[in-house]
Amino acid sequence: MITWRRIGLKDYVFPDIKEYTKEYLKNINNIPVDVKLNKITECANNAENHKFDISEVPALGKEFTSFVESSYNSGISIYLPQNIKLKSPIRLEFNMDDKNPTVVDHNIIIAEPNSEVTIVIDYNSDNKTKTFHNGFTKVYAKEDSIVNIVKIQRINDHSYNFDSNIALVKERAIVNWISIELGSSISGSNYSSILQDMASESNLHSIYLGDGTRKMDLGYTMIHKGPKSLSTIETKGVLKDKSKKIFRGDLNFKRGARHSKGSEEEYVILLDPTVKSDSIPALLCDEDDVEGDHAVSAGKIDESKLFYLMSRGLSEKESKKLIVEASFKPIIEKIPYEDLQKVISHEVERRLING
Amino acid sequence: MERKKTQIDDVDRGIYDIKNEFTYKYKTDKGLTPEIIMEISREKNEPQWMTDFRLKSLEIYNSKPIPTWGVDLSELDMDNIITYIRPNSKMQHSWDDVPDDIKNTFELLGLPQAERESLAGVGAQYDSEVVYHNIRKELVDQGIVYTDMETALVKYEDIVKEYFMKLVPPSDHKFAALHGAVWSGGSFVYVPEGVDVDIPLQSYFRLNAPGAGQFEHTLIIVEKGARLHFIEGCSAPKYKVNNLHAGCVELFVKENASLRYSTIENWSKNMYNLNTKRAVVDKNGTIEWISGSFGSKVSMLYPMSILRGEGARSEFTGISFASTGQHLDTGTKVVHAAPYTTSTVNSKSISKDGGYAFYRGLLKVAPDAHHCKASISCESLMLDNKSKSDTLPIIQLGNDEIDVGHEAKIGRISDEAIFYLMSRGISEEEAKAMIVRGFVEPITKELPLEYAVELNNLINIELEGTIG
Repeated sequence: MITWRRIGLKDYVFPDIKEYTKEYLKNINNIPVDVKLNKITECANNAENHKFDISEVPALGKEFTSFVESSYNSGISIYLPQNIKLKSPIRLEFNMDDKNPTVVDHNIIIAEPNSEVTIVIDYNSDNKTKTFHNGFTKVYAKEDSIVNIVKIQRINDHSYNFDSNIALVKERAIVNWISIELGSSISGSNYSSILQDMASESNLHSIYLGDGTRKMDLGYTMIHKGPKSLSTIETKGVLKDKSKKIFRGDLNFKRGARHSKGSEEEYVILLDPTVKSDSIPALLCDEDDVEGDHAVSAGKIDESKLFYLMSRGLSEKESKKLIVEASFKPIIEKIPYEDLQKVISHEVERRLING
Repeated sequence: MERKKTQIDDVDRGIYDIKNEFTYKYKTDKGLTPEIIMEISREKNEPQWMTDFRLKSLEIYNSKPIPTWGVDLSELDMDNIITYIRPNSKMQHSWDDVPDDIKNTFELLGLPQAERESLAGVGAQYDSEVVYHNIRKELVDQGIVYTDMETALVKYEDIVKEYFMKLVPPSDHKFAALHGAVWSGGSFVYVPEGVDVDIPLQSYFRLNAPGAGQFEHTLIIVEKGARLHFIEGCSAPKYKVNNLHAGCVELFVKENASLRYSTIENWSKNMYNLNTKRAVVDKNGTIEWISGSFGSKVSMLYPMSILRGEGARSEFTGISFASTGQHLDTGTKVVHAAPYTTSTVNSKSISKDGGYAFYRGLLKVAPDAHHCKASISCESLMLDNKSKSDTLPIIQLGNDEIDVGHEAKIGRISDEAIFYLMSRGISEEEAKAMIVRGFVEPITKELPLEYAVELNNLINIELEGTIG
């Protein structure tokens, strides 16, 4: 049983996990033969072969991650050999409905030195089924590799969503996280990167939209261990109606992370008097030779921008929508599929206009 | 290139470390029992309601767990702390009547001189009791009350009963309960409606006894439209055993009133400083905190402002300096409980030689507190990598008609800046000291002059011999 006060979970028990029967791997053509891409349910041992130590990062917590490790019903395991750079992304789509109401995906991504891959995972559902998602994604980015992970969460408003993501980043490797949080009634999502070696780098860009009575807990952690390691956290959000959000961003500089740089920003636009917005940006520092900064800003939509747009004949809602879109756009554009960009833009638009 | 560092471990803290022989007129046994509490109350000739209040607080104290977050309190052994020590002196209104050894201590700390030159009133507490309290006659004529808490309890019992530990109830946390049980000394200030006290009042708290606790209570009421600047100074010499300071400050700022509360805390490095400070501000009132934390082994100090009247304002300016063996967990809490309230937080910390500086803050905006403005800025400077520095500002917003900004920075002195200054013929140490002084300058300029000088001296002492 899980109690998570901030997000409103009390004595919560995970539902029974059913098999996920739909095809979620969308494009597996054009993948070089030496890339090992498998469904995790079809290669049970793979996970064990590539254990790496990420135990220092709790992500959403042991209750959530061990549950995925023991009860997963989907997910992929991908092994990229040295010097292989995949041109086109790997795309996964989970579409939950009454026949497939639970997704517990366990993803393991191993990138050998100097390889490159982009993985896009889209979690969505029908409009009415009470669905459940709990995922755990592990990334092991070896020397000079680049791993981009894009996650889109647009599950319906009756569902629960939990997602843990951890990356271990080796020398000069880069892990980029893009997170789009639009759905679920309760959503806990966590992204953590361990910057292990010299010049390891990780960037996180996320947007969130809270409407209705949605509750979100977004946790982002960057642990700097290697010297000259770099990190960025950039989060932009909108809250309306009675939604609630908790943002936690940790920049943690361990001793030895000399000349490292980390920066963290959160900008939230509050659209209704009934929203709740908590921000806990933490800067933890054991090493003096670093630069870390964080900034949070929260408030109503910029009045002068609104006035300008309305003076050009746009309605208030239209104008607000435009301002929010402008703030989201640079992050949405990082998604490598145009159809997904459109779906997200439309979704944001619909909720801002109709809500 | 390997950067070498030389350190001087224990700097001479000069005047602060001069100890007097431990003499007393009366002291309680070590530890905490209802008998000891009743003894303190009897010794002070208190009314029954206060005795009951103390006993009730002790019960709460015993029922609450020791906080497990923040700092490590495992070495703090309450059974070995003497909670009440009456010094060998009665409260005096003239320095000439104060015994020589005690007077000399305060002379060295510069208090009588400051009183002559720049203060409107002074209180001096030595161990558990106030030994000197004086206020200029023209202030008395305006109806201002500035006295020790014991006298206030006799002369202004109704006011004390109305306000005492109402803002910080003993049930707040374990050390507030401890304070409620064993409080002694402290200052009471009452500024009547419309009175503007243009020169500051100052209370100085000195703990001389080893293995003792100081639990002074400061209660300030600033009535409508009145204005006051209050300065609090604290210090103690260093002992091998642990000392404890669990004071309590309650500030009531009424409509259109304004209060500036400055603290320079320079406890020795065997002190547990677990102090609770809180202000409540009514309509259009202002509270300004100036807070400097330099001493103590462990500090947990989060002055809180509750803005409960429309248009109330709070401003917090704080600096902490953590060196060897010190863990300073400080910050501020601001609650916006009414519309059109504003708050500013400006915090700076420096850590060196294994010191640990932690900024922990809370900003809370209530659902009906619309049109609030808040800004928080935290900057941390680490002078070496044996030290630690963390920043944890919690922001909780309950409505949309607000404007909140937060910024934090952490880092070291840039080599370029040192190089530049050295290329101009300034020595490395001096260059470092200059940069640190520049870093704290926005805060020193808010301090009364003698404290600004003291702070700069302290930085010089602490930085001497650190070749980074």
